[in-house]
Amino acid sequence: MILIDKLCYTSKLRYTNPMIKFLFAIITLILCVAVRSSVIACIVLITTAFLTIQKGGISPSHYIHFMKLPLIFLVLSTIAIVFNISPTPFSAFAIPFFHQYITLSRASLLSAVQLILTALASVSCLYFLSLSTPITDILYVLQRLHCPELLIELMLLIYRFIFVLLEISNSLYISQQSRLGNVDFKTSCKSAGALMSTLLVRAFKKSSFLYDAMESRCYDGTIHVLQETYPVNKLHILYFVLFELTLIGLSVYLGR
Amino acid sequence: MKTKQKKIIFSLTLLLLPLVCSPTVNAMHIMEGYLAPKYCIAWGVLCVPFLIAGFLSIKKTLAEHRKALMILAMAGAYAFVLSSLKIPSVTGSSSHPTGTGLGAVLFGPFAMSVIGIIVLLFQAILLAHGGLTTLGANTFSMAIAGPLLSYGIFKLCEKLKVNKLVAVFLATALGDLFTYVITSIQLGIAHPSEVGGIGASIGKFIGIFAITQIPLAIIEGIVSVVVMIGLESYAKSELTDLGYFKGGAIHVK
Repeated sequence: MILIDKLCYTSKLRYTNPMIKFLFAIITLILCVAVRSSVIACIVLITTAFLTIQKGGISPSHYIHFMKLPLIFLVLSTIAIVFNISPTPFSAFAIPFFHQYITLSRASLLSAVQLILTALASVSCLYFLSLSTPITDILYVLQRLHCPELLIELMLLIYRFIFVLLEISNSLYISQQSRLGNVDFKTSCKSAGALMSTLLVRAFKKSSFLYDAMESRCYDGTIHVLQETYPVNKLHILYFVLFELTLIGLSVYLGR
Repeated sequence: MKTKQKKIIFSLTLLLLPLVCSPTVNAMHIMEGYLAPKYCIAWGVLCVPFLIAGFLSIKKTLAEHRKALMILAMAGAYAFVLSSLKIPSVTGSSSHPTGTGLGAVLFGPFAMSVIGIIVLLFQAILLAHGGLTTLGANTFSMAIAGPLLSYGIFKLCEKLKVNKLVAVFLATALGDLFTYVITSIQLGIAHPSEVGGIGASIGKFIGIFAITQIPLAIIEGIVSVVVMIGLESYAKSELTDLGYFKGGAIHVK
């Protein structure tokens, strides 16, 4: 139902140690955002795409589809950053507009390219994590990093409930569709509202049943689950350390 | 006159066409990697007091009613699912609501801040809306500023004895708009314009995203009103459970 969630369970990297995957994604992400260089961004983009597609076995068409998701935001906000309204035209491009110019300069064009590359590279880092590590494993990592118990429990429950509610909302939506519930604007407003309110009512009923069920199984405020253990591969640690050191070295070299 | 009107409508449609063709309209999450580290950290730090307040209020509620954990988790899942539902749109592209305004009215702003950051984390990981580095900025605009305003407007309307449905519409629509203005300000500060600096940049962001966000806010307001009518008419007993959240706006007497 959620494509990323479905794919991450089938990834070939699913059973590598989540701590390494998490640290790799986060440290690379931080470096990428902090350094803001096109070269670093390209290296990160290529590496994470290679890892996700080749090592993880996610199909390239899916990967491209995911990379296109944040495109609207990227395009709109880059337009906002690059274009200026100014009484004098800039170096790269200008069109007259009510006695002023809509214009942009070469320098801003360059920085926009850099920004786009950095953003894409960071998104690819995020995808490396989310297309190889299920939420439950990420929660395990957070637990190891001493995130408050209450938050982790809340996240675990929310994660579980998302799918319950998605299923309900899906079937509600289908039944509305099959009864011409979305023929025109007015009906579809009505249907959307009905769907959301029904969903809320069902959600509360479910949560009440769930509490009863857990109570009858001696729930005392904490949920105990068995953790899967993942062996640590020494080679992975070596690659991880080498890659990060190279990135740091390169960014220091570029920064000079 | 009529032909002139037609011409105006036609040219407006042409102008908006490229945006209408965009596949989906979402709430305005700042994308991963779009903010420099200092802004990521600054917005994150700004969120901390609200999150701690929310965390403590949840802890207090849980100490009294253990069942509240389930309800809170359902509320979080509800907020997540809400943002993935299709709502009707005038343009024909599919659009998704923000859901935080309605959440704030139902569950109260402080609980919403903690739920909000979890939902935003899941949205980043599962849907690639927003990101991990921009989590702080997105949390501030969507889980703190927007909901607080929504809640404030709702309470104000209650004081002024405005019709409840009008209050819900104003709270959710204005909360949405406020979220989008805050996001524009965040983007403007991080990427000042070459001429006019931060102010001009904020103006540009507000102007460009208005095309997607203003219709979204209005429709979300309408839909939230329908939700409220639905809940009031056949879910009063379920809503009593919401009484656990002291901040929640609907108390059933």
